[in-house]
Amino acid sequence: MTDRRRNSMILLVVALLIGLATVTIIAKKTRLGLDLKGGVQLVYEGRPTAQAKVDGESLNRAIDIMRKRVDQLGVASPEIQRSGEKEIVVQLPEVTNIEKAERQVGKTAQLQFYDWEPNVIGPDGQPAPTESTVTGGREAGGSLFGLPEYKAVLRAEKRPAELRKDDTTWEKGCTPAQAGGCVYGSWYLIDEKNEKMICPGGKATCGPAENEKALYSGVHIPTGAKVRAVRVNPGTVLIQARPTESSQGKVVNRNPNSYYVIKDAPVLNGGDITHPQQGFDEGAGGNGQPNVNFGFTGHGKKVFEEVTKKIAERGQEAQLPGVTKEAAQQHFAVGLDGQLITAPSIDYTRYPEGIDSSNGSEISGGFTIGSAQELAEELQTGALPIKLNLISRSQVSATLGKQALNEGLVALLVGFLVVCLFLVAFYRVLGLIAVGGLLIYGVYFFALIKLIPITLTLPGIAGLILTIGVCADANIVIFERVKEEIRGGRSVVSGIATGYKRGFAAIVDANVVTFMTAFILFALATAEVKGFAFTLGIGTLVSLFTAVLATQAALGAMARTKLVTHPSALGASGEGHRWTFDFMGASRWFFSFSGVILLIGALAIGGKGLNFGIDFKSGTRIETGFVRHVTEGQVADEMTALGFPNAEVQKYTNASVGKNGFQISTKTLKPSKVNDIEKGLQQFQPQHFSSTSIGPTFGKTVAKSAIIAIIASLLVISAYIALRFQWKYSVPVLIALMHDLLITAGVYSLTGREVTTATVAALLTILGYSLYDTIIVFDRVRENVPRMPRAAFSQIVNRSMSEVLTRSLATTFCTLLPVLALLFFGGETLKDFAFALMIGVASGAYSSIFIASPVLTHWKEREPVYRARRARLERESPGGLVPAYATTATGAPEDVEPDAPKGRRRRGRLTAPEEPGQQISRDEFQELVADIQEEETGKGRAPVATKAPPEPEPEPDPEPEAPAERDPSADLTPEDLVLKDKPKPRQKRPRNKRHGRSR
Amino acid sequence: MGVLGWVMMGLAIWHFTIWLPDHFWGGIVGAFLGSLVGSIVVGLIIFSVKDSNLAIPGEKATDIGVILYAVPGAIIGMGIVYLIGMRREKTGHQAAPEHI
Repeated sequence: MTDRRRNSMILLVVALLIGLATVTIIAKKTRLGLDLKGGVQLVYEGRPTAQAKVDGESLNRAIDIMRKRVDQLGVASPEIQRSGEKEIVVQLPEVTNIEKAERQVGKTAQLQFYDWEPNVIGPDGQPAPTESTVTGGREAGGSLFGLPEYKAVLRAEKRPAELRKDDTTWEKGCTPAQAGGCVYGSWYLIDEKNEKMICPGGKATCGPAENEKALYSGVHIPTGAKVRAVRVNPGTVLIQARPTESSQGKVVNRNPNSYYVIKDAPVLNGGDITHPQQGFDEGAGGNGQPNVNFGFTGHGKKVFEEVTKKIAERGQEAQLPGVTKEAAQQHFAVGLDGQLITAPSIDYTRYPEGIDSSNGSEISGGFTIGSAQELAEELQTGALPIKLNLISRSQVSATLGKQALNEGLVALLVGFLVVCLFLVAFYRVLGLIAVGGLLIYGVYFFALIKLIPITLTLPGIAGLILTIGVCADANIVIFERVKEEIRGGRSVVSGIATGYKRGFAAIVDANVVTFMTAFILFALATAEVKGFAFTLGIGTLVSLFTAVLATQAALGAMARTKLVTHPSALGASGEGHRWTFDFMGASRWFFSFSGVILLIGALAIGGKGLNFGIDFKSGTRIETGFVRHVTEGQVADEMTALGFPNAEVQKYTNASVGKNGFQISTKTLKPSKVNDIEKGLQQFQPQHFSSTSIGPTFGKTVAKSAIIAIIASLLVISAYIALRFQWKYSVPVLIALMHDLLITAGVYSLTGREVTTATVAALLTILGYSLYDTIIVFDRVRENVPRMPRAAFSQIVNRSMSEVLTRSLATTFCTLLPVLALLFFGGETLKDFAFALMIGVASGAYSSIFIASPVLTHWKEREPVYRARRARLERESPGGLVPAYATTATGAPEDVEPDAPKGRRRRGRLTAPEEPGQQISRDEFQELVADIQEEETGKGRAPVATKAPPEPEPEPDPEPEAPAERDPSADLTPEDLVLKDKPKPRQKRPRNKRHGRSR
Repeated sequence: MGVLGWVMMGLAIWHFTIWLPDHFWGGIVGAFLGSLVGSIVVGLIIFSVKDSNLAIPGEKATDIGVILYAVPGAIIGMGIVYLIGMRREKTGHQAAPEHI
C-alpha cells in the first residue's frame, strides 16, 4: 500500500471516529461526581467479625445490601463501590436526609435471638439462670440489673473460649494471639486505676475492637491511667441493656452504661426471618405502640417453636410455691448490633407447647413509627456480613459543586489554549497539525467519558488537563525529531517519515510508563484519586493514537503540498540551536545544588514538619460563605453558643465561598452536630455550606495505599526500564524519582502548604510523569551507544543531552502550561494538585538531565570497556583530559552508522510507514553518486559533514576508520554497544557515512 | 516523619560524594545505598537509645535534632562502602577509578 493510500485510510478512520464521537457527545449525558454537583460521600472501612473476614466476597455482599438500602432512601444515581482492600465508598448525590442515609446505609443490622436466662453469666463466670440480680428477673435485659461496661468486661474476661462451628474466622491459623489477621474474641481497653473504659473520642462506653491494635485508634489515654487491653474469649459477648424508658414508656436513655455478659449462642438470627414490616401492637393486651412484624423461614419456624416451648417448660419448673407467675416466667431476648431491643417473657400457661410461628412474631419496645420503619427496612435488606466503620464523610452543596465545575472548565480551556498557542508559535505548520491532533483528542476523550461512562470529578478534570500536556509532549518529541532529520539533510517527506519512525519508540516508552503508573494508582489509591488515575490512563492511550497516528497521516498527506515543502514551514530551516555545554563536567555543581536543596528540605521537615490536612489528622471542616459581612468573632461566638468552644474559625476567601467565607475546624462531628451548626449559622445568611468529616483511620488508609502505590510503581517502572534499556538504566531512574519526590516534600514543608489526598495523587503522578524526560534522554543514549564506538560514556551522554535538551525543555514547558492554568484558574482543590505537579514536573525535568544521566554515566564508566576507552582518550589527549564531546580528526562529531539488521522487516501492517531509506533527499542522492564515483576511482572522500559543534579540545584521530587500527580495548563486549532491542553488529568496517543521520 | 527526614538527609549528603574519587564499592550507586542505609539505621539507633525505646519518630517527635541523627549514619555508611571499595581495589577485585 502506498503512503498516500495509507494516510487517506487513517484520516478516513479518524473522521469516522470523530463523527461517532460527536454523536455520542450529543446523545449521552455527562456523569458528574459529587464534588461537581453536590451531595454526600461516605467512606466506610470494613472490619471483620467472628463470622466473616473482610475480603472481596464479604465486601461485595455488603455492597449489594447497601445498594438495596440506598434504593429504599429514594436517592437518584447513587454510586457504591469498593475502594482499596477494605473500603466501600457510597456517593449519594442530591440526598435530602443525610442523617438518615448515614444511619441506615452502613448499619450492620445483625439481629439475634437468645434464650435469655440460660445464657446470662453470673459473677463466678458461669450461667446463673435463677439469679434475678444477674438476669434481671422480671426486668430481664433492663438497664437496672446490668453491670457498668468496665465491670462487665472484667466478668467476661474470666470465661474460657468456646468455639462455634459456624465461625469462619477461626479457621486454620487463628489463635488467641490473633494470628493471620483473624478474629479471636473481642478486645476492650480499660483504665484499672480509675475503673473506667478507655474509648475513642473520650466516650464512656464503646463496643469491642476486633484486635488489640485497633483498640488504640482514636483514643486519648488519660494522664496517670493504668491501661490494660482485655481480651474476651470467643463464645462470650457483652450485650448492652435495653434503652431506659420512663414510666410513660418513653425512651430516656438509648445507650445506658449497663451491660450483660452472655454466652454467644443465639438461637436465631436475621437470616431466619421473613417479610419484616412496621406495624402496631394491636393484639390482645397490645398497647398500640409501633412495632416490627415478621414471619419465619422454615428453619426459623421450627427453632422458634422449639425454643419457646423450652422456655415455657422452664417457666413451669420455676413455678414453685410462693413464687409468682411473673417471677417464674422466662424470657426470649432480641438483640440488634450488640444491644437488646426487647426481652419478652413467654407465658407458660398460655403457650405450654411453645408459640405457634405460623403467624410470625413481632419485636416491640420503645419504637417510634420512624425507628420501627427503619428497623423493618434494615431487616428487609438483611444484615451486613461485616462491620462497617464510617471513616470519612463529606458534603458538598450543589452551588459549590457548580462553582467548582466552572473553575475546572475554565482551567481546562485556558490550559488547552496556551498549549495550542505554544505549539503554533514554536512549530508553525507542525504546530497547527498538533493543535488539530489535540482537538481530535479532546473530542475522542470527551466521547469516551460519556460512553464508558466515567464519572467526571475535579481530580478527573485535573487528569484531563494533564493529558493535554502529555498529548502535546508526544507531538513535540516527534516534531523535534522531524526537524532534526530535515536539518540533517533529508527531504521534508523523508524527514517526516523518519522522524515519526525514530521518535515512536521513545514516545511509547514514556507513555507506557505513565499509563502503568496511572493503572497502579487506579488499582490501589483511594476513591478520590481513582477518577484522576482513570482519566490519566485513558487519556494517555488516546493521546498515543491522536498524537502519533493521526498527526502522522495528516502530515504525510500534506507532505507533498506547498504548505510544507519548505523546511522553514516546519521550523526546520537553518542549523537550529545546538547545545555545546559540558553537561557531565558540570554535573558536580548540579549535584551539589540538589544536595543543598535536599539539605534545606530535610531541615525544614525537622523544623516545620508537614502541614497535614484533615484527610490525615481526622476532624470536621466546614466551609461556608455568608451574604453579608460577618467577623471571625461573631462566628466564633456562635460556635461557642452551639457547644463548640474549641472550634477554630478562620477567615477564608476564594471564588467559591465569596468575600465573607469562613473555614471552621473542629474535632470529628456527627452529621446531626453538623446540621446544628448549619442551622445556627443561618442568622448570618450563608450562601454556601459544605462539610467534610474524617475519622481517625482514614488518613492511615490513604497513607498506606499511597506507600503501596509508590512501591508498586517503582518496581514496575524499574522492571520496564530494565527490559527496554538495561538494568543499569533503571537504578538512576529510581534515584531521580526519589530526588523528585523528596524535593516536592521539602518544598511542601518549606511553604507550609497543606498536604491532602490530592497532594498524594499528584506525588504518585510525578512518579510516572517525571520519567518522561529521563526516557527521552536515555532513549537517545541508547541510540548513540552503537554510533560512538570509540567514545567515553560521558561523551555519549553529553552528545545525547545536546541533541535532546531542546525537546526536553519544550516538553517540560508544554506540560507546565496546563499545570499553571490549573494553579491559577482551577479552584482550591485543583490548586493543591497543581502546586505539587508543578514542583514535581520541574524537578523531574531537572533530575533527568542533572541527576539520572550523571549517575548513569558514573556507573557505566566503571565498566571495563568504557574504562579502557577513557584511559585511551586520556593517553591521546595532550592535557590528559577527555574532551567533553567525541570528534573525528576533522572536528566533526564521531558518528558511525550502525549496521542495519539482517533482512528487511516485512511490512505486515497496512498502517506501517514506509522505510525511511526508501525516500531519499537530494543530498543523499548526491552522496550515493559520490560513493559510486569513489568506488570507481578508488579515492577516499571526506564525510559529508554538517556543521560540527565547537569542541573545546578536538580529539586527535590517529586511527580513523580501519578496524585493524582501532584500540582493541575499545569495544570489548558487543553487549555494551548494542542494547537488547538492537540488532547484533556484524564484524565489518564501520562506515563513516551519515545517510539520514542527524546531528 | 523521622524516616522521611533521615532519607532526605542521607540523599542530600550522598550528592556531595560526586567530589570524591570513585573508590566506592559499587560506585556512586554503592555510595547511595550506603548513605541511605546508614542514615536510617544510625538514626534509629540514636533515637532509640535517647528514647529508651526502639521506635520510629513520629510527626511530633521529629525535630531538627532528630533529623541530624542521620548525618553520622550517612557518613559511616558511605565510609564503609568506600573502605570496602579500596580494599577490593588493593586485592584486584575492583579497578581503580578513572576521573570523569
